[in-house]
Amino acid sequence: METLVALSSGFAVAMTPYNLMWSALGVTIGTAIGVLPGIGPALTLALLLPVTYGLEPVSAFIMFAGIYYGAMYGGSTTAILLNTPGESGSIVTAIDGHAMARQGRGAQALATAAIGSFIAGTIATLALTFVAPLMVKLALLFGPAEYFALMVLALTTVTAVLGASLSRGLASLFFGLALGLVGIDLQTGQARLTFGILELLDGIDTVIVAVGLFAIGETLYNAARYRFEKEEIYALKGSKWMGKEDWKRSWKPWLRGTALGFPIGALPAGGSEIPTFLSYLVEKRLSKHPEEFGKGAIEAVAGPEAANNASAAGTLAPLLSLGLPTSATAAIMLAAFQQYGLQPGPLLFDNNPDLVWGMIASLYIGNALLLLLNLPLVGLWVKLLVIPRPWLYAGILVFATLGAYTLNNNVVDLIILWIIGLIGFGMRVLDVPVAPCVVGLILGPLAEQQFRRALAISQGDPTVFFTHPLSLGLLITAALLVLVPVVLKARQNRREQDAQAQI
Amino acid sequence: MTTGRSLKIGEAGLGAAVLALGAFIAFETSQAPGAANAVVGPALFPYLISAGLILVGLALLREAVTGHIAHAQGLELDGTAVVLVAVGLIIQMLLLETLGWIPASTILFMVVARAFGSRRIVMDAILGLALTAASFGLFNYGLDLNLPVGSVFEELMAEPDDAAE
Repeated sequence: METLVALSSGFAVAMTPYNLMWSALGVTIGTAIGVLPGIGPALTLALLLPVTYGLEPVSAFIMFAGIYYGAMYGGSTTAILLNTPGESGSIVTAIDGHAMARQGRGAQALATAAIGSFIAGTIATLALTFVAPLMVKLALLFGPAEYFALMVLALTTVTAVLGASLSRGLASLFFGLALGLVGIDLQTGQARLTFGILELLDGIDTVIVAVGLFAIGETLYNAARYRFEKEEIYALKGSKWMGKEDWKRSWKPWLRGTALGFPIGALPAGGSEIPTFLSYLVEKRLSKHPEEFGKGAIEAVAGPEAANNASAAGTLAPLLSLGLPTSATAAIMLAAFQQYGLQPGPLLFDNNPDLVWGMIASLYIGNALLLLLNLPLVGLWVKLLVIPRPWLYAGILVFATLGAYTLNNNVVDLIILWIIGLIGFGMRVLDVPVAPCVVGLILGPLAEQQFRRALAISQGDPTVFFTHPLSLGLLITAALLVLVPVVLKARQNRREQDAQAQI
Repeated sequence: MTTGRSLKIGEAGLGAAVLALGAFIAFETSQAPGAANAVVGPALFPYLISAGLILVGLALLREAVTGHIAHAQGLELDGTAVVLVAVGLIIQMLLLETLGWIPASTILFMVVARAFGSRRIVMDAILGLALTAASFGLFNYGLDLNLPVGSVFEELMAEPDDAAE
């Protein structure tokens, strides 16, 4: 009941013509930028951050929510028509979506993605509405020791889950943590790793690192590979609507994808990679046409896309109620909150109910707007895909440097951006995932703060992390997440060696 | 062109770089003055992170030696294009505050377009100019953010005013 009252006051905030305008603008720009090849939701948010500087926090976050959802919709269009997924959540969609596009069924693939995203987004936003207040209640039980353990868990899952190699993921994570050290230590006022450079005292901005890795690093990589890769765009032709059979084969995957996406997104296990992949496997197992999978099965677009959008809403639950980002995109959102001097968590729900509930209400509105924007107007967005690559990437770099420069109006940020960009290029070539770096950068300092707070309360007794049952449980889960795959892999390797030895 | 072999070197380089970063952070932290009166000082986390970096660096070196590398079949890379983009960014950095946002970023736009194989220099210049001018207008007049006008132009503009006074 309390929640419904809060939500309705949120709608009152979000439905004012002024805020409605920012929401509409947010979803439109979000879709437009998200549709551009090579730009995923995280980069879209980072690039559009400066646009919201002049706004009141409430309007800014309503616009932000629109950009977030819009970028998710736009990303699936690129994945389907170009086979260039802008983020890990769209990788699965790209497989069958692009196969459908090649068969001239691109319009149907886009439609099932858009409608599925709408349904999943709406159900998941509804779930968010009720889960977030529960999480807030849970968060009130948390002390610094539990927060620290929770952050360790989030850091390990982001790392262990992504990418093929654990050591590469960890390298990225520790690099992010190291970047997070730079600046003044808040508790003692001591400068760390600043090398006497004044501009480094405030630390390295998450937005600079995200833009450096995602925009500069990606562009350098694409420049390096441009001569060797060919892109194929398939025009939309034939019927634009889903047939009866398409509907019949889509609606169950939509619902199942939602059921997978939201809970996994809401857990600190986070991210959209696992639920989209699981959804693909589930649909393949349940389908009457498993042989079509990989060759353009509509279920393989409907399910993972629904899972992707549902997990996007799910990610907002730990972000808003605990201040815990579990994906690169959520890390940028947290950076945006920090820019306004706000710290997500239980206090945010108490102190800024207008902002939190206005933002949640605007997710419902944005989702409905996006369905309107994406179904009839999809032809318009598709035109963005044919922008000649030289101009596209030149434009991305102009806006990336613009975003970095306007953060503090100094050239030092551009130098940091350049260095991070080159490192990002190296990481891309060597297949090191970048998301752990971004999450590590923003979570590292927060984890350190909670760690020291916990020890200050326990008067220096380090067993505090293991005597609190919640904290102990979270730390054990984190350790298992790293160790179990390593052990399994080692056993598998030994078995393979045994098999080879027998031959 | 980059073959599997040079990628293997790159992989070893990654391990070495991570290792070196860890050692460097440990060294820097040991040089910093210690803070008294704190239960956990500002040095603990840097030491933990440097230990993590050193361990991961060693693991990566081991992987490079045993041959677990990405793109084992080799990966072709166009080095010239990468250098061009990187240099374009440096030019923009150097010119940004003297020439201002519009010229500096137009040059960046043209250089990046060239790196992606564009040969239409005039068209690139026009588009770059339009894009940077539009963003300048939007940010400086619409959003109250200050993209640099350029010290050269500021002086030019300032002079007639001084004369009038």
